[in-house]
Amino acid sequence: MSTPAQVWSYRTLILNLAQRDLKARYKRSFIGWMWSLINPAATLGIYTLVFGFFLKGTAPIGGNGTLNSFAIYLFCGLVLWNLFSGIVNTSIGTFASAGPLLTRTYFPPECPMVAGLTTVVLQSLIEAGILMFFMIILGNVSWTAIMILPIFTLMACFAFGIGLVLGLLNIRFRDVSYLVGIAMQVLFYATPIVYSLDVVPANFQRILLLNPLTTFVYAMRQAVYSLELPTLNNWLVMVLAAVTSLVGGWIVFGKYAPQVIEEL
Amino acid sequence: MSAIVVEDVSKRYRLQTDRAHSVKELFTRRDRDAGTDHFWALQDVSLEIEQGSMYALVGHNGCGKSTLLRCIAGIYRPTSGSVKVDGRISTLLELGAGFHPDLTGRENVYMNATILGMSKKQIDGVFDEIVQFAGVEEFIDSPVKIYSSGMFVRLGFSVAVHVQPEILIIDEVIAVGDEEFQRKCFDHLYTLRKQGVTVVVVTHGMATVQTMCDRAIWLDHGVVQLEGPAPQVAQAYLRSVNQAEAEHPIHVVAAVSVEEADSDGAPRIKSTPGLKPDTGIAPEGEHWGSGELRITAVEFLDVAGVPIEILPGGSPLRIRVSYDCAQPIENPTFGLAMHTEGGVHVTGTNTRLCKLLTGVVEGRGSVEYETDRLPLLPGTYMVSVAVEDQFSQHTYDRYDLSWRLRVRQDSDLVMHGLVDIGGEWILRDDAS
Repeated sequence: MSTPAQVWSYRTLILNLAQRDLKARYKRSFIGWMWSLINPAATLGIYTLVFGFFLKGTAPIGGNGTLNSFAIYLFCGLVLWNLFSGIVNTSIGTFASAGPLLTRTYFPPECPMVAGLTTVVLQSLIEAGILMFFMIILGNVSWTAIMILPIFTLMACFAFGIGLVLGLLNIRFRDVSYLVGIAMQVLFYATPIVYSLDVVPANFQRILLLNPLTTFVYAMRQAVYSLELPTLNNWLVMVLAAVTSLVGGWIVFGKYAPQVIEEL
Repeated sequence: MSAIVVEDVSKRYRLQTDRAHSVKELFTRRDRDAGTDHFWALQDVSLEIEQGSMYALVGHNGCGKSTLLRCIAGIYRPTSGSVKVDGRISTLLELGAGFHPDLTGRENVYMNATILGMSKKQIDGVFDEIVQFAGVEEFIDSPVKIYSSGMFVRLGFSVAVHVQPEILIIDEVIAVGDEEFQRKCFDHLYTLRKQGVTVVVVTHGMATVQTMCDRAIWLDHGVVQLEGPAPQVAQAYLRSVNQAEAEHPIHVVAAVSVEEADSDGAPRIKSTPGLKPDTGIAPEGEHWGSGELRITAVEFLDVAGVPIEILPGGSPLRIRVSYDCAQPIENPTFGLAMHTEGGVHVTGTNTRLCKLLTGVVEGRGSVEYETDRLPLLPGTYMVSVAVEDQFSQHTYDRYDLSWRLRVRQDSDLVMHGLVDIGGEWILRDDAS
């Protein structure tokens, strides 16, 4: 198992891998990195239309007392969801595509994983920046928005731990990538993103709260939309989820990655 | 001082066929027998590599050489035993591994060099050298997917040797480039060695082993057959290969027959009954000619006229060229040539050079070239045969590099290279 310090000593490599992915991603496309903005924008537009307009989804009143936009409310949750699903999916893909490298030269297998993580976090930070831009225009800002940073960090840890394990499993069992596709859809709707938790019947609320993502999205909206601090309880759930996932994932990955690499 | 110490390393692989490929199989395959689903790629391999030396791993394909290299490089973990490495490793297990086709040569050089452990500043320092060595100056800012395979290989090699490694691990990759680049690579490896870099290579070129390496190990099915000074190991290995070949001969001397030309005049090669199938024609061999006279068979014979497949070095040889001539031809020139597999022209002669008039040739017949002692050293030689007109200006029929003549070594090897010059050392004491 590589220690975080060992992985850190490979930071130039990690940076280069991340840079390579970013550079290669939009090579030979006309508007290049703009795609990374258009994609979430399109998703946001579709969800707003379907869930806000057709299904008449409503949002609570924002922290400044006047903001009442379903699109913005949705966007808060979507940014966090994109971070989660982006990390999980990228981790799965990264480990498989790093195979040729890993079997031909030695470096900690965690490196490409961290590089993949970095690209997704960067993307999500841009999305968060756009969210904040709208919040400023709409006059719905407060210092509580700073909480995005710890929430993002915890979410990244949570998702990365899961991604590490799934990335490994995906090499052994080709079923994983299909299962993950379905699980992601289920999880998306099992998390109050396109709706708010209050519209769900009370018994179901309890079930939804078993999903740590519910807490993450709730905390995010508290901080950015309602301009209130997440509760201590929220923080506990998030920290616990993040630490368990990351530590568990890191250990499992460190233990089995060398074996799996031999089969790549 | 040892740069690498490998102690009792064994490596067990799981057989991929016996592995559950899907979650379903994991649950349904209960009959998996724990004892049969793996094999040992390496068994108790021990070796020690001096710092600054060049070490070779030899053996047939699948003998565990690459696994051993990967264990030394730290890519694979040995199942048991230990590997101690002292120094920074640069690996060259596959050229251009990690090159991203859409990125430019420049971007890929930086990427690859970082993988091999260099910082950006260090790369800046050697970048020009890397590009120059690879000879891809004009293309360095184009995506590598437009590179020819040669350029790809050269750039990959160039990066790997310029990252100032202390230990360089190379897996058969050098064999890919053209002759000139190969020579350049070996020159560079030689320079690196003089600077104290330890080099570990996997190679099938015994000439490389004998002339460049200090020590070598010969593996067979993961078990060490011999470890010692490189020339001895190479000889022992060659001897065993020769033996195996003599026991299971490959049909080297084959005869070809040429069918009637197609309507467009292009001759076709086809085996005919009674002649051995044309397995002896090397795939890379070329065949052309106008076809008035056709070569129907080429045979290598020993002194008694019996076809032979592998020739002991320094023994007599007769090469018989049979032909079929559709119309009378005056003084055709029969010629033959031998090249090494690497393309070096070893020898060649023809009846015109020997001032031999062949007279008017018509119908079926054969020509033989005879020598009492073929002075070639062990190896494989590619034989070409041609029949031309009396001025060597028109080609009736020609097979280039189409037959393999294998020369085997019976006694201890006393010479390197291609030709046995047959001399001997004499020590003189001037004082007397």
